Amino acid sequence: MTSNPSDLRQPRGSRNQRRHTPKANMSGIYRRAIRDAFVKLNPRVAIRNPVMFVVWIGTIVTALVTLDPNLFGTAQGENPRLFNGLITIILFFTVVFANFAEAVAEGRGKAQADSLRATKSDTVARKVLPDGTIQEVSSTTLRQGDTVKVIAGDLIPADGEVIQGVASVDEAAITGESAPVLKQPGTDIASSVTGGTRIISDELTLRVTSDPGKGFIDRMIALVEGAERSKTPNEIALTVLLAVLTLVFLIVIATLPPIATYVQAPVSIAALIALLVALIPTTIGGLLSAIGIAGMDRVAQFNVVATSGRAVEACGDVSTLILDKTGTITLGNRLADEFIPVNGHSLQEVAQVSLAASVFDETPEGKSIVRLAQQLGATVDFDRASAEGIEFSARTRMSGTDLPNDREVRKGAVDAIRGFVRSRSGAITPDLDQAYEKVSRLGGTPLAVCDGGDLYGVIYLKDIIKPGIRERFDQLRRMGVRTIMLTGDNRITASVIASEAGVDDFIAEATPEDKIDVIRAEQSKGKLVAMTGDGTNDAPALAQANVGVAMNSGTQAAKEAANMVDLDSDPTKLIDLVTIGKQLLITRGALTTFSIANDIAKYFAIIPTIFAAAGIGALNIMRLSTPQSAILSALIYNALIIPALIPLALRGVQFRPLTANQLLRRNIFIYGIGGVIAPFVAVKLIDIIISAVGLA
Amino acid sequence: MLQGWIQITLTLAIVVAITPLLGSYMARVYLHQRTLLDPILRPVERVIYALSGINIQESMTGWQYARSLLLSNLVMAILVYLIFMGQGFLPLNPTTLSAPTWDTALHTTISFVTNTNQQHYSGETTFSYFSQMMGLGFLMFTSAATGLAVGIAFIRGLTGRSLGNFYVDLTRSITRILLPLSIVGAVLLLMLGVPETLDGAAIATTLEGATQAIARGPVAHFEIIKELGENGGGFFAINSAHPFENPNAATNLIETVAMIAIPTSLIYTYGVFANNRKQAWLVYGMVFAIYLGFVIITAIGEYGGNPTINALLGTPQPNLEGKEVRFGWAQSALFAVTTTGTMCGAVNALIDSFMPPGGFVTLSNLFLQIVWGGQGTGTAYLFVYLILAVFVTGLMVGRTPEFLGRKIEKREVVLASFMVLLVHPILILIPGAIALQFPLGVNALAFPDQFAGISNPGFHGLSQVIYEYASAAANNGSGLEGLADSQPAATGLWWNLSASVALLGGRYIPIIALLLLADSLSRKQPVPETAGTLRTDTPLFTGVTAGVILILGALTFFPILALGPIAEAFSLGG
Amino acid sequence: MIRNLNSMLADVGETCSTGWDSGRRQQVPRYLFLLLCLNLVAAPAVYAATDGAFSKTQSYAIALLALTTVALAAYLFVVIFQPERF
Repeated sequence: MTSNPSDLRQPRGSRNQRRHTPKANMSGIYRRAIRDAFVKLNPRVAIRNPVMFVVWIGTIVTALVTLDPNLFGTAQGENPRLFNGLITIILFFTVVFANFAEAVAEGRGKAQADSLRATKSDTVARKVLPDGTIQEVSSTTLRQGDTVKVIAGDLIPADGEVIQGVASVDEAAITGESAPVLKQPGTDIASSVTGGTRIISDELTLRVTSDPGKGFIDRMIALVEGAERSKTPNEIALTVLLAVLTLVFLIVIATLPPIATYVQAPVSIAALIALLVALIPTTIGGLLSAIGIAGMDRVAQFNVVATSGRAVEACGDVSTLILDKTGTITLGNRLADEFIPVNGHSLQEVAQVSLAASVFDETPEGKSIVRLAQQLGATVDFDRASAEGIEFSARTRMSGTDLPNDREVRKGAVDAIRGFVRSRSGAITPDLDQAYEKVSRLGGTPLAVCDGGDLYGVIYLKDIIKPGIRERFDQLRRMGVRTIMLTGDNRITASVIASEAGVDDFIAEATPEDKIDVIRAEQSKGKLVAMTGDGTNDAPALAQANVGVAMNSGTQAAKEAANMVDLDSDPTKLIDLVTIGKQLLITRGALTTFSIANDIAKYFAIIPTIFAAAGIGALNIMRLSTPQSAILSALIYNALIIPALIPLALRGVQFRPLTANQLLRRNIFIYGIGGVIAPFVAVKLIDIIISAVGLA
Repeated sequence: MLQGWIQITLTLAIVVAITPLLGSYMARVYLHQRTLLDPILRPVERVIYALSGINIQESMTGWQYARSLLLSNLVMAILVYLIFMGQGFLPLNPTTLSAPTWDTALHTTISFVTNTNQQHYSGETTFSYFSQMMGLGFLMFTSAATGLAVGIAFIRGLTGRSLGNFYVDLTRSITRILLPLSIVGAVLLLMLGVPETLDGAAIATTLEGATQAIARGPVAHFEIIKELGENGGGFFAINSAHPFENPNAATNLIETVAMIAIPTSLIYTYGVFANNRKQAWLVYGMVFAIYLGFVIITAIGEYGGNPTINALLGTPQPNLEGKEVRFGWAQSALFAVTTTGTMCGAVNALIDSFMPPGGFVTLSNLFLQIVWGGQGTGTAYLFVYLILAVFVTGLMVGRTPEFLGRKIEKREVVLASFMVLLVHPILILIPGAIALQFPLGVNALAFPDQFAGISNPGFHGLSQVIYEYASAAANNGSGLEGLADSQPAATGLWWNLSASVALLGGRYIPIIALLLLADSLSRKQPVPETAGTLRTDTPLFTGVTAGVILILGALTFFPILALGPIAEAFSLGG
Repeated sequence: MIRNLNSMLADVGETCSTGWDSGRRQQVPRYLFLLLCLNLVAAPAVYAATDGAFSKTQSYAIALLALTTVALAAYLFVVIFQPERF
């Protein structure tokens, strides 16, 4: 009984994820990032970051007043050129640091893209022409619908569907998994191959499913490189807020000269620009894109390819997870644990019939039935060659064997067998229901076995819940995420597994079509839904879900419908993705809060000192030594805080599965209150150093 | 001293006690539930609707609401402008006043239609009784009702309802809230000695035998809607300091409570609409704490008096300069904080003469606009700040920020941050900077004489100019005075026109944004609440909101406050 | 009658963004050139208005700075209303 296609999946990937990301050469990444940081000074690139663009323009203006301190009016103070020059340097580095943050974040992706590109060399493909002859062509000339033949040792030239042959393929290039994967036609999930992987045995005939440059690897390269990166909705909204704040402070500063002159406390242009840069949210402005890129990168390190940042962000918003029972909540393979005889048969007889019904069953369940039966002493008492295996189908929901002497032994879902027995004018005894219920109550899957119209008994297939899964669902619940389990099992079994695993809800006897109904129902309540899937019939549901994660072992249709592809084909990862999404949003929020909270200290550092002529020196609560040193200290802090926070932006704020209010309390304390206090301390320290050095 | 604090405490206690009563009454009115006045007012309203051809069933979109509002305000403004310009030919003009200059009439019209009532004229010598009653008095009701309508439409949108019908809200605001309360209040004021007459100025013979004309008029009804509707335009030039507008402590109490009653209660009304009175009281508590802090700062400043004068006197005396002795420091301080906080703008003492702490507080009130805030719009601004706080900090719980289950996305952030963060500084700082740049005039520009006409140099002059525009942009209407802003001063034209820009911009840009924001929120599919949802009705979040208001709303103006009242305080050595 | 603000904004956005994308390469120099041209008008005004308190060079510099500030403000307005483009 392999009603769920995912049962075929080989369990791969464990909680300790393999990271196939090449051990990025960090010093190489940094070297490249330093170069990129200067390349990004190009105004056409710089204009994309409004906050930093304003700083950049400010740098140019201060550079001008360094060259000619009297450019905008007679300069005051001693050595204005030195002071202006220092401001220029600090502002310049503020911009460079912000560019560096973005470049570092991009670096890892670029390195990954390079290693992927290496697998994508032009190869010679054997194209099968319509008349059956084989022509050697360059892989770049292959178009969708072409047929190619690959033999052991070849690099597969393009994404394709297997239409003929059975072979093992090494997919290490994209999944990092070195064990080869068996590919054969018509099996829905094992039939798709990816260009760039290598066939290591036998040969296959493929129908190409992608045009050149649009294959899976090409898309992956574009994604990890960030070439298609567009701002996510939250990023856009945040950009608006940052632009508003920047504009507000631009107006405040631009209108300050007449106001300050009126009260006879004029300020220099360089000091005004310094104040402007200190007030606009440079910290978050400089780190915003780095945070987004790093979030995508974290997903990539989990061996998941996200098609857009939007999808990663949506993970954080997910409020319902739809999970297949098999492979996600329970270990993929259910094993036969017990035979329960009914209808007056003995245990031995049940074992014998079960064995007969399972000899051709290659599924793990089938093999476990054979094993259990043999342990009980059952033997194959017929000629295998003259018997015929009946495959499982979703319609009949049973499988079995037609024996030579016209015996039809069957095993399958209890009501399917019930129908079969009736159709063979057999009798159903009440102890079948008892056995069915007993197994169900244990959380197992009951399979009935019969020989024609003669009912023999029930096989108890035991489901093993993955260790630690319950704790993870508890965490999800605390974060406000509801979990719904989908299973083909009957209600009783489903409810037992559901309560053991700790999911919030379950749908029993579910068909793949039920998935999409559940998703629609949840979405109509305003919830964001995430799900995993692999079969072609999962594709509509994957497309409907807000976050659809396709297994890499899945069909092409599923992978195209989904907005993420898990290269390890581990459905449990959905839970990790939710965490990554939340972490991304939290990091962004935390640094925004920190950046804005910093303003208080910067105001108190700069305003009292530059307007000392207005007699408000008493507001200089930090007791900064001179106006120049106050401005320089605030600016140095402002510049240095960007590289200081790069690790946090890249790594992400530590995530704990807490409720929203607990998270808010914790993060407000660290980044809000901390953001108010930290600059007071840091600016004072820098001021002490500056005075000690005698810079100002 | 104790007496002063008792007066303040008593007034505030009355305000808090009124809040749930008036708040739930207003909720009933706007939720179209049964109220006590139904039997009398239903037929009246039916006649109004029938005459004006309003389909009361029709609910409006944000744009329709805004368009109706702009259109009706425009029609009212044109009508009143014509009344002003023709007052010489119109009846009820016992003192035979002729039409004011075109710019004074324009500024006054705009000022009253925007619920600001900034006055660049003296009421008793500029406008006839007809202009005061039919022009100003009329706008006092409609502009207050317009504000209330916007506030309630915003609350409706925020809580996921459709916005309602502007004309119905306007009508009901007047018939159900402003008019009944005004009638009761006016009768009370009348009983306490405020005049209500159509006779011209009384002629009296003084002890020295000189003849004196004592201005009077239909004051009582004008006075109550002036306070209740957050209008603030005095019948007489010196506003509520005039003994005919505010004769004694009892009238002062009534006027103070009338000013603050609706803005406070509207927060409670929100609580009823959102079915979350806890949140309403938390937000109320936050604003109340800021308000109370401001009252205490101002009161201490006034009680402490001017150190320079105290040094001359040799004994500490409260600062009574520019104050009515019958109100003293405490009632004057409370009135000043209340009138600037609620965007009323009526004054019972000259704010110009307040000590720097008072100047700091009144300016801060105008900058923040949410220490109760204007009629209707103040409450809306408050919730816009809540939305901004949700947006800034809400990400920190790992979800797209949402308020009342509605996601705060780009459109909401554009509208919210544009309206409360951007419009105000633009309208205050840019004209302020121009005025301060050319305090004495510029030869090359078109204004040959004094450009700005600022009476004070230094910090106080700065405060005066900024206060003028802040008052206009916040639709408050009070002034630090000292500016040559009344015709026939040469600088009157500049002040009338530049203030008009701030008045219009400060009123209608945020209103349009508020309505669009409400519309956009009301159309969102609500996200069900889970453990992962940030609850906004907690003390923690309310505290966060206060921080956001402080940093985003107030820090913008910190340089101004530092160079204005703060520098002035240091220069006084206080 | 006032047209719907949304559609208006969208229209403006469309014309802006098409212009922006098609001529992106020439856009920055073009704006700089416009700025300098405007400055030819603004600088004498500053010079006259300040009654000779600043030299001619300083007047040009101040006017250019003021224009840059205005241009920056305009740019930020574009960012606020069309953040997607950046």
